[in-house]
Amino acid sequence: MAELKILAVDDSPTMRRIIINTLKRAGFNNVIEASDGKDALAKMKIERPNFVITDWNMPEMDGLTFITTIRAMEEYKQLPVLMVTTRSVQEDIVAAMKAGVNNYIVKPFTPDTLKAKIDQMVGK
Amino acid sequence: MSSSENIQTCIQREIAELTESISGMMSSFRKLQRPLAESREKVPQATTQLDKISQQTEAVTTRMLDVVEQMTQREEEVIRGIEQIRTTAGDGSTEEIEHLAQGLIVKATDNLNAAYQIMESLQFQDITAQQMDHAASLLEEVEIKLHGILTTLGSPEDPNARMVPQVPRKTRAYDPHADFVDRKTDQKDIDSIFAKKGH
Repeated sequence: MAELKILAVDDSPTMRRIIINTLKRAGFNNVIEASDGKDALAKMKIERPNFVITDWNMPEMDGLTFITTIRAMEEYKQLPVLMVTTRSVQEDIVAAMKAGVNNYIVKPFTPDTLKAKIDQMVGK
Repeated sequence: MSSSENIQTCIQREIAELTESISGMMSSFRKLQRPLAESREKVPQATTQLDKISQQTEAVTTRMLDVVEQMTQREEEVIRGIEQIRTTAGDGSTEEIEHLAQGLIVKATDNLNAAYQIMESLQFQDITAQQMDHAASLLEEVEIKLHGILTTLGSPEDPNARMVPQVPRKTRAYDPHADFVDRKTDQKDIDSIFAKKGH
C-alpha cells in the first residue's frame, strides 16, 4: 500500500496534537488535521488523504454526519475510517459501524491500540 | 331580606373573597420574581466559570505538551548520539564503552516512554472539557426555564428586579457519558462487535 496520508479530525487541539505525536511515534509522519467534519471535508478536497481518524462529538458537523457524507461519495466509499471517541454506549458503536466506520477506539487510548488498529486496517 | 337577596349577598361575598384570594396569590407570585431573576442571573456566571476551567486546563495541557515534545526530541537525539558513539568506537572498543552506551540508551528509552505516557494521560483534558460542557448545558436549560417562568409572571412588582437579557450561547458538542475511567463498553467488546461484522 502507498504511504499513508492520514487526516486526523478532532475539535480538541490537545487531542489532535496527541494523536499526531502518537502517529509519528508509530512511524506515520504524513498527517494533516481538521477541527470538525466541515473542515475535514474541505481539507479532503485539497489533501486527498488515504486514511481518516475522526472524533464523534464536534461542532459544525459531527463525526457520524461526516462519515455518512463521505460514504455517499463514490471516491470515498472504500476510504479506511477509524473513529476515536469517548462514546462507548453499544448503540453508538453499532450506529458508527452502520454509518461506515471500519474500526473504533474509545478514549483514552494507548499508542499500542492506535497502531494496532491502523495496522489491522491496512492489512499489516 | 328576601331569600334571593340573601343568596345574592352570599354570592357577592364569595366572589369578593375569591378575588381577594387570587389577588393575594398573584402578589405572592410576583414576590418570587426577584429571587428567580437573581437565580437566573447566576447561571451565566456558572457557565462562564466552567468554560474558564476548560480554557485554562487546555492552556496548561498545551504547555505540558510543548515540554513533552521537547523531551521526546532530545531523548531521540541522545539515543542517536549514543548509537553513533558505539559505532565510532569501532572494533577494539572497550567493553566499558559498550556497557555505558547500552546503559544510557536504556535510560533514554525509559525517559522517552515516560514522556509518551504523560502525553497519553493528557487526554484527560478533552474528557473533562466534555464533562464541563455537559454541566454548562444543564445549567443553560435551567436558565431557559427560569426565563420562561419570569416571562409568564409578567411585570415585576419590585421595580428594582430587572429582566436579565439572554446572552449568546456557545455551541457545545459533548458526549454526556464521557469518562476517563468508566466505559459503557470495553475496547475488547468493541473489537468483538467489529470482528463479527468482518472489519
